[in-house]
Amino acid sequence: MSPCLSDDALERVHADLGSIAERAHLAGCAACTGRSRLMRRDLELITAVLRETREPLTQVTPARRRWIPAAVGLSMAALALLVWVEVVVWRAVTPVPATMQPQEVAAILSDVSASLFSVNGDPVPAAADDSPLTLEGMARDVDSSLTGDEP
Amino acid sequence: MAAHYGRLRRLCRLLLGDPQEAEDVVQEVFLKAHEAERLARSPMDWGAWLTRVAVNGCRDRRRAGGWMRFRLRSTHIDDLPLVADTPAPSEAAISEETRRRIWAAFRDLPRRQQEVFALRYIEEQPTTDVAQALGLSPGSVKRHLYRAVRHLRRALGDAR
Repeated sequence: MSPCLSDDALERVHADLGSIAERAHLAGCAACTGRSRLMRRDLELITAVLRETREPLTQVTPARRRWIPAAVGLSMAALALLVWVEVVVWRAVTPVPATMQPQEVAAILSDVSASLFSVNGDPVPAAADDSPLTLEGMARDVDSSLTGDEP
Repeated sequence: MAAHYGRLRRLCRLLLGDPQEAEDVVQEVFLKAHEAERLARSPMDWGAWLTRVAVNGCRDRRRAGGWMRFRLRSTHIDDLPLVADTPAPSEAAISEETRRRIWAAFRDLPRRQQEVFALRYIEEQPTTDVAQALGLSPGSVKRHLYRAVRHLRRALGDAR
């Protein structure tokens, strides 16, 4: 005689999905027949509850709240995408505004001042001077332009 | 037709979980039946036809989805249990916890398993009729039934 059927096998037989051997065992085994009877009683109880009793009023069941993690995940992904677009893509495609470097500004200013205070009309081009621009230097340039001396 | 009213109402209540929505679906089913009769398109088997139309109506309602938000609000006054109401003998015999667990387990089942279980065990229809009503093969009905019963029995086992 084959060993007794598991609960799973009994449920399969009950759903008419059991093999011929399982059904044959159930027909000949008193223990399995008893368990099958208990199973049928469970099913009668379940059916009676669903058929005859009112469904308890409940709040939204967890099964219906499954969309919440998905919504949170999607929001996070959207936020990350937004940040990435802002930081990487947007910065890469946006041209840097044309601003002059401080050295260029200083050179132009010194050109302007040299032209303004030029005596012989031939100012020394400031761009040629690579030395850093300082107030003392600028004052010396102005003095030399006024006096006509070489700086 | 009147003989089917209570049966369909119970079936729709079971599938939708909302008495008002169930009532609406049953009304729609009978309107369709009336229309079919008027157009001389009466089915051979009214019972099976009504069941199929009712199940499809419930599916449409569930798909629409929005009704669930108003579920508690839409509970009809007649369906609310009275505070001092004496429980029915069937309710008294079964513990509150057992009932709660069975209902929760049933609601937890996938839609198809709920339909198969309701038609096979609550409506007591043979497997072939269930398969025909739901457009499934008999083998598929048995598999759905097996999974549904296993899930419900586990819930019952936990309640003991």
